Amino acid sequence: MTMARGAMARRVLSRLGGMIVVLALLVTVVFVIVRVTPGDPAAVMLGPDATQADIDQLRAQLGLDQPMLVQYFLYLGQLLHGDLGQSIFLNQPVLSALADRAEPTFFLTIFSILIATIIGVPVGIIAAYKRGTLFDQAVVVAAMLSASIPSFWLGLLLIQWFSVQMGWFPTSGYGGPYAGFFDRIQHLVLPAVSLGIVNSALIVRFTRASMLDVLQEDYVRTARSKGMSEFRAVMRHAFKNALIPIVTVIGLTLALLISGAVVTETVFGLPGVGSLVVSAVLRRDYPVIQGALLVVAAIYVLINFLIDMLYVVIDPRVRY
Amino acid sequence: MIIDRRSFLAGTAMGVLALNFPARAAAGSGGIIDVAMIGEPPTLDPMMSTADLVGTITQHIFETLFTFDGEWKTVPMLAAEMPAISDGGKAYDVKLREGVKFHDGSPMTSADVVASLQRWLAVAGRGKQAAAYVSGVEANGDNAIKITMKEPWAPLLALLAFNNSAAVVLPKGKLAEPLTEFVGTGPYKLVEHKPDQYIQLARFEDYAAREEAASGYGGKREPIFDEIRFVPVPDPNTRVAGVVSGQYVFADLLPTEAYGQLDGASGVKPLILEPFGNPSIVMNMKAGILSNKKMRHAVQAALDPNDMMLAAFGDEKFFKVDGALYPENYVWHTEGGVERYGAADAEKAAALMKEAGYDGSPIRILTSRQYEFHYKIAQVMVAYLQAAGFKTDMQVSDWATLTTRRQDPSLWDIFITHGPFVPEPALIGSMSDSYPGWWVSDEKQKAVSAFNAEPDPDKRVALFPEVQRVFYDDAPLYKVGNFNALSAASASLENLTVVPWPFFWNTSRKG
Repeated sequence: MTMARGAMARRVLSRLGGMIVVLALLVTVVFVIVRVTPGDPAAVMLGPDATQADIDQLRAQLGLDQPMLVQYFLYLGQLLHGDLGQSIFLNQPVLSALADRAEPTFFLTIFSILIATIIGVPVGIIAAYKRGTLFDQAVVVAAMLSASIPSFWLGLLLIQWFSVQMGWFPTSGYGGPYAGFFDRIQHLVLPAVSLGIVNSALIVRFTRASMLDVLQEDYVRTARSKGMSEFRAVMRHAFKNALIPIVTVIGLTLALLISGAVVTETVFGLPGVGSLVVSAVLRRDYPVIQGALLVVAAIYVLINFLIDMLYVVIDPRVRY
Repeated sequence: MIIDRRSFLAGTAMGVLALNFPARAAAGSGGIIDVAMIGEPPTLDPMMSTADLVGTITQHIFETLFTFDGEWKTVPMLAAEMPAISDGGKAYDVKLREGVKFHDGSPMTSADVVASLQRWLAVAGRGKQAAAYVSGVEANGDNAIKITMKEPWAPLLALLAFNNSAAVVLPKGKLAEPLTEFVGTGPYKLVEHKPDQYIQLARFEDYAAREEAASGYGGKREPIFDEIRFVPVPDPNTRVAGVVSGQYVFADLLPTEAYGQLDGASGVKPLILEPFGNPSIVMNMKAGILSNKKMRHAVQAALDPNDMMLAAFGDEKFFKVDGALYPENYVWHTEGGVERYGAADAEKAAALMKEAGYDGSPIRILTSRQYEFHYKIAQVMVAYLQAAGFKTDMQVSDWATLTTRRQDPSLWDIFITHGPFVPEPALIGSMSDSYPGWWVSDEKQKAVSAFNAEPDPDKRVALFPEVQRVFYDDAPLYKVGNFNALSAASASLENLTVVPWPFFWNTSRKG
């Protein structure tokens, strides 16, 4: 038991060490990529008619005229002090800009993953249980279709139906200065449904495939032969053992959504992390690009780590 | 010189099409309006940026000494009257309006104006353009200033009036680099700016309006709405849906394909701003194969503007084939030199290329899909150039990349851009010697210097045809045509004026 715990602790420490190496590499790669990509924040800020002399002057003010290596070490120094830098355009620290954008992205992610899971898991289970029936075939086709639908197109359709024609939801934004919590939630319904439907397809397919494997196992047959009800046999014996791939795909979907549902946020004009990254890239707001990618990558790596840890809880046979 | 809006001018009307709605409701009816804009402005400092989005929003907060009326004439705004010009055009005495307050309650004085203009001359792109001619700005008592010039330079007043890289007046104590407090004298004051979410403006209760009748950007400005919120809605289709659903009372710069939907929707009115601007094909005069004038003439001869405009804008409702630098009805309109435009003559182009000794090197064309019409123009242009015998190398990138690459003359031969019909020709970006493309020639120097030094407006109009003739002969760029812009407003908006940079003072809602 003690040995198992020791192995587990070593595994956790080794994964944490790996995470730090991944993040350090990411910091360097992102720093270099954003600076070697053509485009200049000073030119964007000064507008289309700015002269090269004006642009050079602003570059010097922003410290962008220094050698890349000097800028890199200055940036590393900032990071070690927990400072992600100052946005060139937003006139605020990167961390504060990210915190401002975290709320819509967080709620959008939660709602989307809930919708995707509520649709995906039961439909996948039933399709597997009714394998080969019309229902199963319809689910397979529908899952393939919804996986192929671009989320922006579905978003525009939802806006057309539910905002323009029905007038039930706002078309875009996250509410004005006086918007309360429920106003803001109302702004998230259509983007969450659009993302939820598109992401449910993958969950349906993984759940169905995983359940099909498990339903043929001997222990399920044994459970049924003992007279256990079908519901109990499927949910208690089959579903529980099919959970690992399902949790994996839900976790990965969650991680992707947290990194910002870029297209959906842009279509719905949501001021989330995704739209922050897009506008930062278009403006070449280097500190925001670097800071946002670092934070998003850290969350992504952390979620992957937590999923790994969750395997142990779900399946006691899993050992590290 | 990409700017999404700026334009108009005119001998006649500025295209200021007051919507055909009933007379405005009683002043002070208030209310809050949401306006859908194309994105988040890069800054709220109107001196720092030449971006239209910045000028459109900040013109509600800040004001300039002069502005443009409905016929694009320069008229006073914070100045009490037009300046007294003396010493052969080298001295401008400007009286200031009294009783004007900043949003922080302090009164505007000559000290604020002098400090603001000095900052403008030092940091603003257009201010630096003027700084080459200005020898000093000084206070003349509490309510007047004097601008002294090194030599006469007629575009000065237009620059002081323009809301783009604007000579706005701020309290002396609030001037900082970068600007952190956005305090102006305008009809609306800034309440809150949540980037990517909204810019909230509230009516400035102590606003000191002019007494003359409103005309264009000039005359009386009355802040009627309690609040205006500029909301960034980057997706154009979502802006269309937003104005049709009633969430926004105005949606800026919409795709022309949406015209049918807007025209058929109830409660919303499509607005066509005609003309809005002109796409252009800029040629590199400093380096590469197009530095040879005959090769640029070959490009002029090869192209068909009608096909390029049709591909770019689809419907003739939204474009006009026109080679003049300013469209008809503009005071600057002239046909001088335009015979070189619109030939679409591949044989003539081939002959010119032969004369120029073209060695078959590919013409490197920079374009961006960030502005889809640029890309479509480039595609048609490539077909015509190839038909004439040119080899081409089209390089597609995002706009920020293009604006960086175009600064290096060794990297390109042509880039596609677009620009406005600015009120004063000296404000056209490509007129500057340092604008990428680097239009520098003795003929240009002679024609433009004479035009800029002439203080008499009528004589300047008479000098402009020579500038356009030299433009066509030097061929620094190929003006493709004129295009219109589409926006939309709620039918409930009253007294909305359709102008290149929409404003919402003097505007109210029915009911």
